[in-house]
Amino acid sequence: MAGLSLKHIYKVYPNGTKAVNDFNMEIADKEFIVFVGPSGCGKSTTLRMIAGLEDISAGELTIGENVVNDMEPKDRDIAMVFQNYALYPHMTVFDNVAFGLKIRKIPDVKRDKQGNPVLDKNGKEIPVMRHYNKDEINQKVLEAADILGITEYLAKKPKEMSGGQRQRVSLGRAIVREPKVMLLDEPLSNLDAKLRTQMRSEISKLHSKLQTTFIYVTHDQIEAMTMGTRIVVMKDGFVQQIDTPKNLYNYPGNKFVAGFIGTPQMNFFEGTLLKKGEEVEINFEYSEAKIKVPYSMLYKARPAYLNGKTKVFIGLRAEDISIDPAVVKDSKTTIKVKVSHREELGNQTLIYGDINMDGDGYTESSTRIIIETKGATDFASGDIVEAALNINKVHLFDRESELSIIPRAPEFNYLDCKVASGKLSFLGVKLALPQAIECADGDYELLIPTDAVRFGGTDAEVEVVGCENVNGKTVVSFELGGRRLFALTDGEVANGKTGIEIDLKKLSFVSQGETVVESMPEVIRMEGVLVKEKAVIETQENGKTVKKNGIKFMLDVEGYKIPCPDKTVDKLITAIGVKKAFTEKLLYECGPYDLQFASEGISTDVTAVADYGREKFAVCKLGENTAYVYSKDGETAGLKLMPAVDKLAIYHKEKHIRII
Amino acid sequence: MAKKYRSKKALERGTNAVIYIILTVMSVVWLFPFFYLLLQSFRGEPGAATLYFWPHEWTFNNYIKLFTDTQTFNFPKWYGTTLIISVVVTVLQTAIVLVTSYALSRLRFKMRKPLMNLMLVLGMFPGFMSMTAIYFLLKLVGLTQEMGLVGLILVYVASSCMGYYICKGFFDTIPKSLDEAARIDGASRHTVFIRVILPLAKPIIIYTVLTAFMAPWGEYMFASLMAFGNQDYYNVAVGLKDMLKQETLYQYFTRFCAASVIISVPITALFIWLQKYYVQGVTGGSVKG
Repeated sequence: MAGLSLKHIYKVYPNGTKAVNDFNMEIADKEFIVFVGPSGCGKSTTLRMIAGLEDISAGELTIGENVVNDMEPKDRDIAMVFQNYALYPHMTVFDNVAFGLKIRKIPDVKRDKQGNPVLDKNGKEIPVMRHYNKDEINQKVLEAADILGITEYLAKKPKEMSGGQRQRVSLGRAIVREPKVMLLDEPLSNLDAKLRTQMRSEISKLHSKLQTTFIYVTHDQIEAMTMGTRIVVMKDGFVQQIDTPKNLYNYPGNKFVAGFIGTPQMNFFEGTLLKKGEEVEINFEYSEAKIKVPYSMLYKARPAYLNGKTKVFIGLRAEDISIDPAVVKDSKTTIKVKVSHREELGNQTLIYGDINMDGDGYTESSTRIIIETKGATDFASGDIVEAALNINKVHLFDRESELSIIPRAPEFNYLDCKVASGKLSFLGVKLALPQAIECADGDYELLIPTDAVRFGGTDAEVEVVGCENVNGKTVVSFELGGRRLFALTDGEVANGKTGIEIDLKKLSFVSQGETVVESMPEVIRMEGVLVKEKAVIETQENGKTVKKNGIKFMLDVEGYKIPCPDKTVDKLITAIGVKKAFTEKLLYECGPYDLQFASEGISTDVTAVADYGREKFAVCKLGENTAYVYSKDGETAGLKLMPAVDKLAIYHKEKHIRII
Repeated sequence: MAKKYRSKKALERGTNAVIYIILTVMSVVWLFPFFYLLLQSFRGEPGAATLYFWPHEWTFNNYIKLFTDTQTFNFPKWYGTTLIISVVVTVLQTAIVLVTSYALSRLRFKMRKPLMNLMLVLGMFPGFMSMTAIYFLLKLVGLTQEMGLVGLILVYVASSCMGYYICKGFFDTIPKSLDEAARIDGASRHTVFIRVILPLAKPIIIYTVLTAFMAPWGEYMFASLMAFGNQDYYNVAVGLKDMLKQETLYQYFTRFCAASVIISVPITALFIWLQKYYVQGVTGGSVKG
């Protein structure tokens, strides 16, 4: 039983194809994780990297306490179930299940013929490795067979069994070793629909019985939704979203996830959003349809999309659209639908139609609509009906990036503000603008990042109204001057009145769609290479200092060399290759607090000091980049920049792979 | 008017009749020399090849004398030498071919494909091209004539891995997921090969054993060169060819025929023994079919 940690995992094939890109995930012990996505999305490759069947191009994989990147599959203490069962055809079912036990050695202590431990001179037991004995193997195999109901087939060969029975044997082979992690690679894909449903519940039952970590790969979203405690949705080698089945369904992060999860697929319409006072008008493209909703429903939506011009995808699930006359009568958000055909599913009916009166309702287009109904429907093809949209459940996505524009954890709060005589005022709050923010007097749109708000300050008094946990962070909702705003914190904040502090360096000011004042850049980029140098290395042997000729590894960061830890060297060499590791350009990234002014370090020109009131930052030239580096007192004369090697994120510049 | 069709069965019967006639003729042409040889080996009357098929006088003496009259031609010695060479070569060559093929089928390493192509092309060149050079190299290290047995084994085994192609093709058909499952179960590459792959590769092992045995069993050119005219170091092929010299042909032709029958015994026995393992569908049930 163990958790897993995947940090910046990449899989790049020799021809340059990136099968997996920057996969990051923490998997807790006993979780049931499902990787889901269409063919070629990299889900199986990720699983195979965890199993040790594929090399990891870059990144760090930890199982339990151990980094296992270079560990053989057999030493990782994992078990795997294959899509095609992969049973040994020349062995009986018993031997198939027992194979792993027969060849594996387990730790024990040296024993005499009676089975009593033999002690050494100091009276301690002598540790040895031994094979399982016959009785132990028999007992374990019979236990596993009993759990899976394959006891009566133990003497048979795989070819004498059906697909479902073979997959049970494959599961038995996996569970008999009591592994830390169970990996299942589309185990049900080759079974028929009925057997699949049955095996699905059996695997879930097995998970709760074994209490071990399961990682399950499937392309079937129903399997993912019904089995996983958390689901990883992947596409083209990129993780799209990691969340619980319920959250994936209710809060899809992008259009792909919204469309992939849920049957029938979510309806997507193209349209625009126009904010008029406290209302937002939703206009559907290629159709006459138009509805108005209160702005309070779309507080989290990014204001840039509420201009009536920027195109968005409007997503609504079939069950969130109703043609029930009672619902339609009470709804203020209805549109006209021309019915084309329907699909009877027994317990429900899917009505297909089009919101474009010229559309056919068959072709998947941005006007086609699917409506789920439970009651009797007697609509004929060509009928025009009113459909009520449940706007509380609407999903909006950017037309180009397809990312949600009403994220669960918003990045910014958008407000109107005024700057006059160096003072910033918004929602009744007045703050003195620091020297670093040069903003002419006038009215602006103010962007306050949600992570720029800290509770317990004195900048303004707010009323906290609720907290929501989103992917390990807390989204705190609070009221300020009658507006609902959000903050992203590490922990929950109690409801009620409290003070806040705003990190001024993170603010941006926008006027007529153009950013007039940008927030302070918080990422510092530098370049360099890994170098090796001949050196005299001092080591301690028997209490004496011994000098030996050796090789020392250094990171060249913008011309300054800092000693490179062995672990970092290993990772760089593994990711780039032995020869290329010393010639390929590296890109370093760190934050403004990760470089320190010191007498030694990277030479730089300090062009200015940005004073943000509570903090000061030196504006430095680093190669072709400008960096804002924290400076406690703003004194930088004659000083250089010393990077903290453990804080550097290191990328392969050309391939743009994060290695550290 | 309805078009007339020829009966499908009648057409099939006609075609089959033609095919069977051709096959029968081919079989007779193919089997005739063997039956002639077999009958000649039981011929009592002396003389070289006869124009008649059935011997006038039947005898088993040709076989007996082959092993008792070793003054002029020491057939038992040649037979023993050839058997030793063939068995050793079979063991070594089978092992080398199997491990080479498995490595080329399963492992991915730099220059794998160029290496495979190079081996394939080199394998196409006839061995006698380099015969003289090899002979002198072996002579330099003293592996000819009395040590010719070791020299011959070395020569026959040296190029074994060139024959990886068919065996690799077979290994390619064994699903890789079996290797992967075994590796996850705790097996090393070596264990996977011995305990999972080899039991499934019986047909190809048998094929490899048979071909590895037959090549040195009937080899003439190298063996003749290595013996360099010294009868003590002959193998059966060289020895039997020696029997057919002008001066001994009349007396020894029937004995030559008997010897020819005897040398086909080990191959036939080997095949009969191995064919029970030569079963189809050995991988049935391992993966979804």
